[in-house]
Amino acid sequence: MSTQSALLKAEPLSSRNWFPKVSAAVVAGAVLTVGIMGVVGVLCHADGSPRTLSAQFLLWLVPPVWCSLLGACFLFRSGRQAWGVLAVANVLVWGLFFAIRGLAS
Amino acid sequence: MKIRGDIVRTYRDAHSWVGIIAGLFLFVAFYAGAITMFEQPLQEWASSATPRPAPTPLERMPSLMEKLFSAHPEAARNYSIALPAATPGQGEFSWSAAKPGAHGRGGPTTQVSLSETGELITVQRHPSAVAHFVDELHQQVSLPLPHMVSRYLMGTVALLYAVALISGVIAFLPGLAKNLFAVRLGRNSKKMWLDMHNLLGVFSLPFHLIMALTSVVFAFHEPIFVTQHFLLGGNHASHHTQAGADHGARGQHGGADPTGAHPGRPQAGSSDTAPAAQGGQPNLTQGDASPEPAQPLPLPPQQILAALARQASGFVPDSLNYTQRPGAGLVLSVAGHDPRYSMRGPVSGFAEVNPYTGRVTSTDYLPGHQSTGFSIITTFFALHFGSFGGVAVRWGYVVLGLGGAFLFYTGNRLWVASRQKQERKSGRVEDTRGTRFLACLTSGCALGCVAGISAVFCAVPFLPQGGTYSAVMQLYYAVFCVFVVAAFLLGSQRCDRVLLAGAGILTALVPVSVSLAGHGGWLSPVTQAIGLTSVLVGVFLLVCAFRKVRLPPQGRVSA
Repeated sequence: MSTQSALLKAEPLSSRNWFPKVSAAVVAGAVLTVGIMGVVGVLCHADGSPRTLSAQFLLWLVPPVWCSLLGACFLFRSGRQAWGVLAVANVLVWGLFFAIRGLAS
Repeated sequence: MKIRGDIVRTYRDAHSWVGIIAGLFLFVAFYAGAITMFEQPLQEWASSATPRPAPTPLERMPSLMEKLFSAHPEAARNYSIALPAATPGQGEFSWSAAKPGAHGRGGPTTQVSLSETGELITVQRHPSAVAHFVDELHQQVSLPLPHMVSRYLMGTVALLYAVALISGVIAFLPGLAKNLFAVRLGRNSKKMWLDMHNLLGVFSLPFHLIMALTSVVFAFHEPIFVTQHFLLGGNHASHHTQAGADHGARGQHGGADPTGAHPGRPQAGSSDTAPAAQGGQPNLTQGDASPEPAQPLPLPPQQILAALARQASGFVPDSLNYTQRPGAGLVLSVAGHDPRYSMRGPVSGFAEVNPYTGRVTSTDYLPGHQSTGFSIITTFFALHFGSFGGVAVRWGYVVLGLGGAFLFYTGNRLWVASRQKQERKSGRVEDTRGTRFLACLTSGCALGCVAGISAVFCAVPFLPQGGTYSAVMQLYYAVFCVFVVAAFLLGSQRCDRVLLAGAGILTALVPVSVSLAGHGGWLSPVTQAIGLTSVLVGVFLLVCAFRKVRLPPQGRVSA
């Protein structure tokens, strides 16, 4: 923890390198959000037809998650870290999704 | 609250840039959105000069329908019976030749009534497009772009708006408790704009969060549902074929949108033909479909209403909307309200009814009869539309919407003021090109929008048919462009005051123009409300225009 804060102090956050961070949140963040929606959907046995209640709840899940990612992305130390973290999260979430869906079917 | 300095700085930068990009779009969306709170009464008011036949008693409706359908079989495809509260027991029949969902821009509807002697009286109705135009301004800034493009553009603006809210909260949290109520008027223009911006922002934050999140859903629900279907399977095909038809046309709010993202936004210009405007046709495939053309007449309206009253107590039907759907036969969606519950649409909830038996087939969007889950979803919609709690809430939303517009305006002014301050510090006498551009653009666009809408309202009594869509659009854009051009000609130092005064005068003129023409009845509540509101807004703009404060930086330096 202390080394981490030392690192952060050494290199304060700035808005200069915003583009890689924001693009990570827009692209990788969107894919991650969809993955989370998929995992929740499979767990709730949603069938994905828009008139059902579960589908509509899943729809409303998307904006809060995606908007939080977009808002939080400036906290990454670098664009590389942003892409790295979100990529790993994507692999985990999508792995989970395919695993659960495989089990369920 | 302690937040590390570099984080605060980062978020402050993000907040200003995101705000600058989205601010002017949001200004228009909020200013026009505040007006759409009363879209229906405005629509009625603006169309009051166009003739409409007398309503028909409901017991004579079946004979009207029988006569009409034998003369015009095409009328049976898409028709509607409005049930005005003013004339209980009577209905206004209308039909539209346009395909369901395809009559954007206030397409003509045919109103039919029955004379004393039992003859059909037919009136082609072209209602005023003013309310509809303001709604389009609200939804997509009325950009001359294809519908889908402007929808995604506004979705992007909504995402930026969400980021602006998050970053704004983080950036200003540390100093907020100290400065919240300190509105330092005068002295320093940057401080004044900052204080007003913070005060407004903090107190309307929940409202803004709701608006940002719901707008993201409204804009992106389609691709999200497609992805859902792709991931989870399910029956998406029906959604696609039905919704496909209206996307080409317009109807985000009005489209046959089975997601119910916007069921039944009253299409200004065709508020009586809501059948096409019905969203959410849940559980239609319940087998009430009878074979296509040679159908029996549906149950008489009176019996439908009686059956509905038995099944859905407390629900007050406003219109019966019949649509012939391929594969589903005749579909009846009843729009109505229940003052005790929030509603899915901007002005109504919906009951899906079997037109031959009167049985309610879906209560998913029926106020007071929804499952808990659906009523939670309905709450999200109602919080965006202000369709709960009646007229008082709507006025509250008008105030919040105007406050929101003002928030974005102060945000842009703040950016300009702080740039000017920096530039003076570094010894520049004149604004840099960027500062000047944004100062002029802010005043021109924001006040041009206000003035354009006011000009449209001033002109309503004098335009044929209460304003066709193209007439309204031309007038609005003429005024808007004049303001933007004037802003750049006047330059960043003077444009704000001059344009504020111009917009203020135009807005304050609305009641004068309306009463000169005697439009819509001088003393009708709608006319009075329009007059009072525009006088208040106009006076506010004029006060801002002639406020005493000289902007000190440029005043002193250039002197």
